[in-house]
Amino acid sequence: MSIDPAALDSPAWGGFDPARTRGQGLRDVWRSFVTAAQLGWRNEANWTDPILFFIYSVAKPLSSTLIFVVMIEVIGGAAAREFRGFVIVGTALWAFVVAGIAGLAWSILDDRERYAMLKYVVVSPSDFLTVLLGRGVARLAVGAMGAVITLAVGVVALGLPLEVGRIDWPLLSVVMVGGLSAVVAVGILLAAICIQTRQEAWSYPEAAAGALFLVTGAVFPLSVLPAPVQVVGWATPLTWWIEGVRLAVFPAAPSGIGGAGSAFAAFTGRLRPEPYEIVVALLATGALVALGAIVGFRVSVHRAKERGLLDQTTGS
Amino acid sequence: MSANPYVHRPTPGPQAAAAWTRRQIVMTNVRTVGGRAYPRVRGLAREKSWLFFEILLPFLTTSAFVFVYRALQAPPEYVGFVVLGGAMTAFWLNVIWMMASQLWWEKSQGNLELYFAAPMDIVAVLFGMAFGGMVMSSTRAVVVLVIATVLYGVTFSVAQWLLLVAVFMLTLAALYGLGMVLASLFLMWGREAYHLTQFLTEPIYFVSGLNFPIARLGLLGALAISVLPLAVGLDAMRQLAFADAAYPGGTPPPEIEALILVVMTVVFLGIARWMLRTLERLARREGRLSIRWQ
Amino acid sequence: MSASAPLAIETRALHRVYRSKPNDVVALDGIEIEVVPGEFFGLLGPNGAGKTTLIKILTTLLLPTSGTARIFGFDVVHQTKEIRRIMNMVAGGEQSGYGILEVREQLWMFSQFYGLGSRDGWRRVDELIDAVGLDEQRRQKVSTLSTGQRQKMNFARGLLNDPWIFFLDEPTLGLDVSAARAVRELILAWKAAVPGRTVLLTSHYMAEVDELCERIAIVDHGRVLAIGTPAELKRRVQRESIFRLELDRLDGGTASLARLPGVVAASAAAADEANGHDDRQTVAVNLVLHDDAALGGVVTALGGLGAQIQALRKSEPTLEDVFVELVGRGFDDAPDDGRDESQPDGRAAASEPRRDDEPAEEELV
Ligand SMILES: Nc1ncnc2c1ncn2[C@@H]1O[C@H](COP(=O)(O)OP(=O)(O)O)[C@@H](O)[C@H]1O
Ligand SMILES: [Mg+2]
Repeated sequence: MSIDPAALDSPAWGGFDPARTRGQGLRDVWRSFVTAAQLGWRNEANWTDPILFFIYSVAKPLSSTLIFVVMIEVIGGAAAREFRGFVIVGTALWAFVVAGIAGLAWSILDDRERYAMLKYVVVSPSDFLTVLLGRGVARLAVGAMGAVITLAVGVVALGLPLEVGRIDWPLLSVVMVGGLSAVVAVGILLAAICIQTRQEAWSYPEAAAGALFLVTGAVFPLSVLPAPVQVVGWATPLTWWIEGVRLAVFPAAPSGIGGAGSAFAAFTGRLRPEPYEIVVALLATGALVALGAIVGFRVSVHRAKERGLLDQTTGS
Repeated sequence: MSANPYVHRPTPGPQAAAAWTRRQIVMTNVRTVGGRAYPRVRGLAREKSWLFFEILLPFLTTSAFVFVYRALQAPPEYVGFVVLGGAMTAFWLNVIWMMASQLWWEKSQGNLELYFAAPMDIVAVLFGMAFGGMVMSSTRAVVVLVIATVLYGVTFSVAQWLLLVAVFMLTLAALYGLGMVLASLFLMWGREAYHLTQFLTEPIYFVSGLNFPIARLGLLGALAISVLPLAVGLDAMRQLAFADAAYPGGTPPPEIEALILVVMTVVFLGIARWMLRTLERLARREGRLSIRWQ
Repeated sequence: MSASAPLAIETRALHRVYRSKPNDVVALDGIEIEVVPGEFFGLLGPNGAGKTTLIKILTTLLLPTSGTARIFGFDVVHQTKEIRRIMNMVAGGEQSGYGILEVREQLWMFSQFYGLGSRDGWRRVDELIDAVGLDEQRRQKVSTLSTGQRQKMNFARGLLNDPWIFFLDEPTLGLDVSAARAVRELILAWKAAVPGRTVLLTSHYMAEVDELCERIAIVDHGRVLAIGTPAELKRRVQRESIFRLELDRLDGGTASLARLPGVVAASAAAADEANGHDDRQTVAVNLVLHDDAALGGVVTALGGLGAQIQALRKSEPTLEDVFVELVGRGFDDAPDDGRDESQPDGRAAASEPRRDDEPAEEELV
């Protein structure tokens, strides 16, 4: 038997492949993205595992919605019924926020603390950010399921008035794409922070998601907040995303941004933003956050490499 | 410094060295609590990101709940209910993140074997973790309570201070007792346990009535009161701290709830002790005290 | 020690079976060992022999499937607290601890687990840090320690409670030559400080066991194949005396030596470069004699041949030879059944004290 030595030099046999030293083609990026998404799916998002499905797509999102629904029931009164729909939509969308943000940040912690694999992910030829995004997308799928289930329960059991014929599909598609990109961007920012922090950062993503409740008009109209805080809300893409989805799916629902006595009304003289305003504001704020996230992430990885943070388990 | 670094506390022989007095046993366990709490406290001092994520952000979350009630034009005591709930969340999170999942964590880090190879009680190690973590959760609870009270104008009307303090302490005792039970459960379940941590957040907030009077949940609430320290403790504290408010009835009076907490504490600690022993035996039998086996 | 004092280690018919798929693993298959107080005892065996399993049982971390084991008379199944008070252990490649702590903080935490007072703990920790040679790393974060430094820290931890019995499971695994030497010196110094201190060391480095241990058990597949002092064990395979000669010249060739009385065989060997004679022309000869006494005749005969002896050494059989004799296969090609994947191949690392096919007289590192 004879072996052609040149054949052994081929990349398939571990030989040198000049292509690998060049920048990555789009196809490589796509491949590592898909691989990461599959991995994330298998590890965290697997709907075929009934326990995981129940925890992440049913129990958690539904519970957070029910907390607000009961708060409203306890007080009751005239505003309650209208407010209920408002809250159900806001919290259903929040399933995306929690899943998206937490998924990305936990990928970092998982790899570093649990599998001690982070350094290998970073030095592998795939772009770190791409891999991370792939994992994040798998988690978003979990969020999507949670959101759908919450809305379904809202319609069937909680009297949420859904009229499929009145849904503004074009607006819905645009704001969903923009909104989910923004969620991922916030997730990347948090991942950047988690690269720098200790093990107990496990609870950070949920803390961040919880705090965002305050300024995004998810569970109450911004108009009850002091005016400066309302302005902070305007700067958050998630605010516009939620407003856009509400407007597209439940046109009759009250506005989270506008409304009587809101800073928006005082500023514009109108009670609610127009669809195009929502889209423009969402894209603008979303682009800013995304830019910040990418820069922040790169800086964080750089600093981590410099200080050797990638292969540390840091628990206390 | 002794002349020879290899001799510290000379003992006449192994038999004498192995015979500990009761005092030695107790003191070792007490010191173990301090020893295990120490890394936690050092960690907090060494890296301050928790001030932002564990204090400021949770405060904002609590604020969000306050504004929900404001938007609903709820009676003022409801803001107080939420603030109290926000403060107590800190301890619950401490139990699940820094205690329940911790033994499993120690195992995967290779520390658990060293813990079992040392002469102290593993329960003391768990207490150490709890106390170390409590530095953080107490700070958080106090900050949320004080700042939110001032900022959102909560007025307390306490009639029975002593009972209130007792209920608070009992709630913590029961909570951390439950934490120990969970810690052994998690150790048994391994990787899956991490998902259980996730299950213990929002769903538990909901059934514990963290943001509304639990009476509203009817049968579910009654069930929660009988098994969840957070639920019963919070309900009792609300009754005691807002004695003047028109609190939705339907739950037992605080005295009874205090008794429930006592029972819970005893039961949880008993179960935890039994479980940890069983677990140690099982782990020794099956060779599962470490995952790094060389 | 009085005659009635219990043994430091005593195992009787110790069996340990791991339930695992697809087949159960018999890790220990009737181990009988007696170690007297004050002894430095070695367990030598290839990967998967059951060394770690035995140590885990003796340190109360694992239950035997059957049989008994006692540490200073205390039963490993039921008297765990007593044993834990007087023993400690260090394993090679141990990665325990909290990355965020400094070395002395990490050690202090463990000192508290053994009941040292708070102040006393700090003093003891600093003392041990100096003793193991980590003074420069005293305030360094645990997560930034090198492998050797980490192992020194592990030793400091292991000595915190003045153990009467110290279990060492491949303690020099992955260490370089100088770090491994430092660790060995540390163990010896610690042991010498108090009579009665006992050490059980496992290793698959023959030279390490040979150097440190007073008695050795050679184990394979969960069984003790032989127990004895290194010299006793080697004597089992030593039927002839082997010498190595270096001569300035040998006119008649090795054949002239092979004819001499008492000589079993004589063969040319590669010149030994380690002795610094490589610049000179020398002839190296391996001589196998019936016994040492035959050497005199050889020396006389060489004088007659006009050859000058420049070096003469006796080659001892190594523990490797003993192992080969006992199991019928070499140590390194011991089949591992693929069961012990986690074991890093220590033999490839620089830490190995000595190749076992090298002459045995050479000083260990
Ligand atoms: N927890 C376990 N479960 C199943 N098999 C095990 C376990 N630990 C060790 N073994 C097996 O028992 C045998 C002895 O292992 P070990 O005691 O680690 O050997 P050594 O330390 O001599 O290398 C090996 O075949 C190993 O694969
Ligand atoms: Mg081993």
